[in-house]
Order: sequence, then C-alpha cells, then structure tokens
Amino acid sequence: MSSVHVRDLKKSYGHAPVLHGISLDIEDGEFVILVGPSGCGKSTLLRMIAGLEGVTAGEIRIGSRVVNNVPPKERDIAMVFQNYALYPHMTVAENMAFSLVLKRASKAEITQKVQQAAAILGLETMLDRHPKELSGGQRQRVAMGRAIVRDPKVFLFDEPLSNLDAKLRVQMRSEIKALHQRLKTTTIYVTHDQIEAMTMADRIVVMRGGVMEQMGTPLDLYDQPANLFVASFIGSPAMNQIPGSIGAKGFVADTGHVLPLPTSAVAQIGRSAVYGIRPEHMTLEPSGMPVRVKTVEPTGSETLLLTELSGPQTSIDITAVFRGRVAAAPGDTIHLQPDMAMVHLFDKETGHRIMA
Amino acid sequence: MSGFNLYTRGDRIFGIANASLMLLFVLSTLYPFIYIVSASVSSGFAVSSGQVVLWPVDPTLAAYKHVLSDRMFWISYGNTLYYAIVGTLASLIIMVPGAFALSRPRLRGRRLITFLIAFTLWFHAGQIPFFLNIRDLGLLDTRIGIVLAFACNAFNVILLKSYFESIPASFEEAARMDGATDFQLLWKIFIPLAKPALATVTLLCLVTRWNGYFWAMVLLRSEEKIPLQVYLKKLIVDLKSDDGFASRLMTAEYSFETITAAIMVASLIPVVIVYPYIQKYFTKGMTLGGVKE
Repeated sequence: MSSVHVRDLKKSYGHAPVLHGISLDIEDGEFVILVGPSGCGKSTLLRMIAGLEGVTAGEIRIGSRVVNNVPPKERDIAMVFQNYALYPHMTVAENMAFSLVLKRASKAEITQKVQQAAAILGLETMLDRHPKELSGGQRQRVAMGRAIVRDPKVFLFDEPLSNLDAKLRVQMRSEIKALHQRLKTTTIYVTHDQIEAMTMADRIVVMRGGVMEQMGTPLDLYDQPANLFVASFIGSPAMNQIPGSIGAKGFVADTGHVLPLPTSAVAQIGRSAVYGIRPEHMTLEPSGMPVRVKTVEPTGSETLLLTELSGPQTSIDITAVFRGRVAAAPGDTIHLQPDMAMVHLFDKETGHRIMA
Repeated sequence: MSGFNLYTRGDRIFGIANASLMLLFVLSTLYPFIYIVSASVSSGFAVSSGQVVLWPVDPTLAAYKHVLSDRMFWISYGNTLYYAIVGTLASLIIMVPGAFALSRPRLRGRRLITFLIAFTLWFHAGQIPFFLNIRDLGLLDTRIGIVLAFACNAFNVILLKSYFESIPASFEEAARMDGATDFQLLWKIFIPLAKPALATVTLLCLVTRWNGYFWAMVLLRSEEKIPLQVYLKKLIVDLKSDDGFASRLMTAEYSFETITAAIMVASLIPVVIVYPYIQKYFTKGMTLGGVKE
C-alpha cells in the first residue's frame, strides 16, 4: 500500500495541452475514481501515474518517491486495462504468472501466488483455459488476478467495466469493491460512468477539459457540487437547471415563475443565477410550479416524469422522479414543488456555486 | 415458397463467364504440372516423339532410377535444403527484430528508415553493383554468401512491421507493466501474436529460396555448392550437348526430357507435401496488416 501525490501535473502533445496542472493527494488504501466525459484527460492522468505517458511538467510521487522518470515496471503498480489486454496465447495461469516469471520468481512462489489470486477471484477451475474460452466477466477477473499476484502498492483501473453488459457491470462493480475492501490496496480507477463512481469510490475526482473540477466523497459531490458541470455530471437523472435571477420573493425563472428559495439567498437579490434542483427533490403540491407532462417512464419502484415549464418567452425541460406510481399521462398539467432545503444556486456567468 | 429470383439474367451470364474464366485459369495452371508428372513416368521415346499429351505413355520409372542414382542430384538437393532452411532462419533472425523496432513509435527516425527500406522495393542499385558487393565482401562462391545476400527482403520487413503495428498497444503496455524488456516483449508477446504474419513470411522465404536460381548461378562457381535449380539447368545443357547420349535417345527408356521432368517432380515433392498445411497463410498473407482485428 502506498499514497499517491500529484503536484501541478501538466501534459501536452506537441502544442496541444491535455492536462492543465492537476494536483491531488490519494491516501494509503483509498479508492479514488477519476470521472469525466470523453477527452477530459482522466485516462491520460492514470497513464501518467502508470508511467505509460511522459510528464510534461509537475511531479508524481508514489509513497515518498518521485516517479516522473521511473519506468512502469519499477513503480510497483499494477494496471487493469479497458480491453483487459490478456495475452491470448497464454492460459489464465500463465497470464497471471507472467510478471512473476519475468521477475524470475521460484516455481513454488508462482504457483502459490497464482492459486491465491485464483481463489480470491473464483478462477480456480479456469487456470488452464485460454482467454478466448472465457466470458467477459471471467476475463475481467483474470485481468484483476494478473494485477493481484504482483501485490502492488497501487492498483490502476482504466475503464475496466466498459466492455461488459449492464448486468455484469453491476456484478463486477460489487466484486471490485469487495476486492478493495479485502486487499485495502490504494486504487485509482477511471470511468466515464458516474454511477460507477458514486457506488464504488471513497472519493471522486471530477475532470473536464484537462482540469480538476472538484474532488470529494460521492455524497459531497452530490450534495455540494462546486459548479454547474459537477451538478449536471453527478446524479442520474441529472440535476434540473433553471436560469433566472434571485428576487425578493424567491427565484424568478426566465419563464416568469417564482420558485422558493431559502432565506439565506436574500443577500444575493438581483443576481443572475441558475436554480438547481434534483429530480428526486420535488413533490407534487397544488402550490408548485405548473408543468406539462411530456413523457412518463415507470420503472416499477419509481416513476420518472419528463415535463416542460412554459413561459411566454421560453420553456425549460424539468425532470422529476417519484417513488412508487404517479397517476399522470402525457399532456397533463401537474404542479411540482421544489424542496427548499435541497435547492442549489449557481452563478449564471461562471457556473460556480453561490450558496451552500 | 415461391420466393424472389435474386439474380437477373445479366448476373447469371456474368456468373457463368466468371466460372468459365476461372476454370480456364485453373486448367492453364494445372496442365503443365500434370504434363511434367506424366512425362517423368513415360518412356523417353514417347515423350520425344510427342505422344505424351496428358497421361503417361509406356509407363516406366527409368528416369527416376537414373536421377536418384546420380550423386550430384543428391548434393544439389542437400544444398537447396540448406539454402532454404538456413536462409529462411537467417532472414527471420534479421527481419523480425528489424520490423519490430520499426513498428515501435518511440524509435527515432523510424519514418526515414522505413522510407529507405521501402525505397528499395522500387529502386535498387542493379545486378552489377550487387555482384561487386558480394565479391568485395569475399562472399563469392560461398554458401554463407547465398544465405546472407538475400537475408533481408524489404517487402517482408514491411509486411511484418504492419502486422506488429496492428497488435493493440495495450499488450505492450501490459507487458511493460509486468516488467518485460524489449527483447522479452518481442519474444514472449509479439512473436506468438504475430504467428500468421511469421508463417506467411517464412513461407515466402522458403519458396523463394527453394526456387532460387539466377543469383545462385551468378554467385556460385563450385559444383558442390549449387542448388537443385542450377543443377537442373546444368543437366539440361549437358545432356543436350552430349551427342552420344542424344544418339541413344531413341532406344533408351529415358530421354533428357524425362530426366528433366523427373528432377522437377522430385524438387516439387517437399513443396507439395508442405503446401496443404500452410496454404491458408498464403491467402492470409495478402491481407496482413491491412485490417485491425
């Protein structure tokens, strides 16, 4: 186990900057997830920590050692790739043992470590098979097994579940989480799936355009998003964003509707802002804002309504989620009341959070 | 079920024309082969007098008996085997690491080197400078000269390079994380993954070496070192200029045509035996490197 520290890390390809100075500290045994849309630089950051990409500027430390110029094999880390990168000509056992063979470990040690990893991952009966004879989930486990046998200081995962179907992804999510809880190895995991990030991470790093937008626990990010990007990225369905301004009687949406605001917002009267409310933080109240139902999506345990808040000049789509069943049909008008305690306000220009 | 007729009249005519043309190609390829086999087991008189058209006439193995009892046949056969096997191994030892290095983006100047190698596909110095080179290197009339002179082939290097490039980068990255050196990466990962390309290149080298004639004739002087193809040529010339032999042709069971045919068949036997096992790589080799699997 080891901590990982990144200081003002920059990466450019020619004159094209990809990372603009990332700093983060990952503690011993922590499970940190880098999340963001495609092209945000999360995989580049992971590959730089792995040693597969050079550092343009800044510093990477694993434990107390600066590893900027240390080759991957000497960083004492293991990585699980998106496409698993299992060697197709080797059996499961040979794949898992490869790093130990290169290290010239004794046969007894190799057998013991491979057996141990296979037992952890439930691969004991598959050691003689080749990767092509395995299902996606089993291949994923072998890739993890290959990492485990090295007993590394840090595990790196590069979108390891993106090639799996939805059901298997949920299963593997739990398995990776359980594995981390068992091994307690520092883990850095890259994904573009915010649900993966929310369910697995101790802390999440949200990235966009080569910049770290926010770092915090999943619930910190959910409850206190630092800006509109994080607010829209974390949480599914995404947070509703209603542009307007802060008035004396509440938030005046661009549609002309007045929405409730906590009293602490009074200090901001007159300011242009975006009103953020999560779909699950609204109730059906006659005094709520009138919206027209566009579609109804019942999932059994909850009902998702896609609605439209219309004004004379503009209209805004609003999503609401309710537990259980809702008697509404497309074309109906219903009234949604935001939970005042759950309202978020963001500056309209900068997108930064205005109030807690 | 009545169904729809998916093929128009034009399609059918095209299909028939296509099949006829293919059949013609197949026959024109197969006929010389069948003729050579038939001639080799026919009597010398039947072949000389033009009686053999497709099938053997007056079947006899006399030509084979004559060829197989000839010491020089076995020496040249051995030489051909040596040039084919050792030459192919030498080619692989030189070309595989070279192509691997050229396929790695981190190699400085790789574009220039690749360009220079590809350049030789279209433009080369010519036969006289090549001959002088071999002479000045002291490789004239040596077996190792034949092996080394053609050890590196630009087409094969580029074919291997393209295949190595088509292997996903994550294999290299995974192996590097596992602690592999460049040599281990090539030996333990890339060579096993590039088996189809290696089989194709091996086959191309083997066939080229097996059929090698011109340069062997130019570079080798000693009879003890010549390969089968050169021996065959020499035999034809010798037999034709041997008046005594020619006068016996009408009565002997073999003629120089049947002997030539027998040597050709004998030289084809290894290729015919091996070909069915490796023919898939011939067709595969044509598309190698073109598509990423």
